[in-house]
Amino acid sequence: MSLEDIHPKKGQTKAYYDALMKKCDLHLEQMEKELPPSLEKWEDTLRWKGVKRRDFLKWCSVMTAALMLPPIFNGKVARAAEIVSRIPVVWLNFAECTGCTESVLRSSYPDFDTIILETISLEYHETLLAASGYQAEECLEEALEKFPGKFICVIEGAIPMGMDGKYLTIGAKGKTGYEIAKEVTSKAAMVICIGSCSSYGNVQAASPNPTEARGVKDALNISTVNIAGCPPNGVNFVGTLLHYMLFGAIPALDHIGRPLWAYGKRIHDFCERRPHYDAGEFVEEWGDEYAKKGWCLYKMGCKGPYTYANCSRVRFNQGVSWPVMAGHGCMGCTEPKFWDKMAPLEKPIADQALFSLGGEATIDKVGVGLTAATVAGIGVHAVGSVIRGVGKEKEDT
Amino acid sequence: MSNNRLAKKQWTIAMRINHWAMAISILLLIITGFYIGRPFTIGAGETWQKFFTANVRLVHLLFGLILTTMFIWRMYLAFFSRFHADWKDFFAWLDFKNVIKQIKFYTLISTDLPEHTGLYGTLQSAAYGFLLILVFLVVVTGLILYGALHQAGMAALIYGILRPVECMLGGLAGVRFIHHVLTWGFVLFIIVHIYLAFWNDIVYKEGAISSIVSGNVFEKVD
Repeated sequence: MSLEDIHPKKGQTKAYYDALMKKCDLHLEQMEKELPPSLEKWEDTLRWKGVKRRDFLKWCSVMTAALMLPPIFNGKVARAAEIVSRIPVVWLNFAECTGCTESVLRSSYPDFDTIILETISLEYHETLLAASGYQAEECLEEALEKFPGKFICVIEGAIPMGMDGKYLTIGAKGKTGYEIAKEVTSKAAMVICIGSCSSYGNVQAASPNPTEARGVKDALNISTVNIAGCPPNGVNFVGTLLHYMLFGAIPALDHIGRPLWAYGKRIHDFCERRPHYDAGEFVEEWGDEYAKKGWCLYKMGCKGPYTYANCSRVRFNQGVSWPVMAGHGCMGCTEPKFWDKMAPLEKPIADQALFSLGGEATIDKVGVGLTAATVAGIGVHAVGSVIRGVGKEKEDT
Repeated sequence: MSNNRLAKKQWTIAMRINHWAMAISILLLIITGFYIGRPFTIGAGETWQKFFTANVRLVHLLFGLILTTMFIWRMYLAFFSRFHADWKDFFAWLDFKNVIKQIKFYTLISTDLPEHTGLYGTLQSAAYGFLLILVFLVVVTGLILYGALHQAGMAALIYGILRPVECMLGGLAGVRFIHHVLTWGFVLFIIVHIYLAFWNDIVYKEGAISSIVSGNVFEKVD
């Protein structure tokens, strides 16, 4: 699916959005009735966090724009945000570093992504769970019983498949990651893979992948919404929840399961350093004069041209900064197998080792070698031809 | 010893235009392609005064699309040319006996001129078939990269079809790397092609070099 498919057709814009609005209203009403009641009022939550409703509405506008909806949906997004925290969520951690949780939950001051993530009804989240051991297991079992087919399963981390999945066992009962994932996802309303590990395997699945780690989609053969990134942006996760809240459906996905509203465009095409690329202004060395001027990081190995993500538009940590702004190129962390395919991370793709077995031979070195050999061969052949006299007319006999 | 030679039409005007359009496109694409792979920095001047990389990319895209068109045209000619549809001639290398003769001739072991049964010699047919495969692959990978850059209109349409291929080749980074590797295939082909064209012209004395301009070869008549 491309972005073209989810845009309204020419001349039908009003009818398209009217229908969408109606669908949205119906679904929100239904959700307000069906979802379990929230623990605390949204107004109270905001007051305790010390933020004004006005700021909340500003954030809603940002999310509306990020979701590529027209401004008239602001109110709907606000309504969805108020009840989004009532969806039961089961958050599973597998082979990962908890970086995604950290990145999404922690920030210098609470923004609305964080507040929503802190207030969502997390039935089970190993990092945030007070219970441990058998009690923790009970929490999970209870959640599965209480909300079958209603909860959202969020998975962080790849699933090791080698040795019957025994590279990863969790909890007092020693279940493998694969078993837990299979059981929980079979009862979930929707599976969101947060981070590149659960989406595509990430570093655990990088060559030679001794544990045979895989992304959830490959491991379990189920359809997932992949919020790729290492770590991903909280906005992309919250936006997907809001989309589910608004329309009762997962957002339009690209061919590898990423929401198009967040991963539909390349980093490179919305990069603030892009004018320097077009002008032919590149950083040649870390900390050189050009780096100080903020020129393009393409020659320092920026993989923005090969990476679909909205980092350059949304940025991280409440829009404070993002890798390219901070002065290091993009590593392409939202793409499958990026540790293998984007290597070397601080050199352009042209410098990739030709053979995955290693060695320093880049394609240009090999190419120059082959060209030199060919030219030398031609020289020898030309001299040989003259000596041998192949062009001479033979005497008629 | 007879020196009578008769002009015989070998290349139609369509074939010759196609050849030179491809040659110019490929040459420009190699030069601009290597620049895009490893651009150099223009330090002097203000950013707003410069647009070099973008312009190089424009040339690369323009001639990439010309090459795509030329490839489609060449395929059409191979199958439907009214003068001589030459698709069968690309399989002259299946005649293994002649292949061995040709190898002996090219490696200067034997000085007997091997007969040309079709339009191309045996090894020549394999080389040209290889070139067309190379063009096809470079066009496909190029169209993926073009589609990623320009997600609208025809580019988007083609990109939509080719995205599974992109995924298979390991994302845009993988596609880009393969695109770069293929470039060297063209460099090697051009060197060998030009040398052997001259060599054949000298050895066969049929005017191979001028034939791709005039369209005629000069066959010996007794």
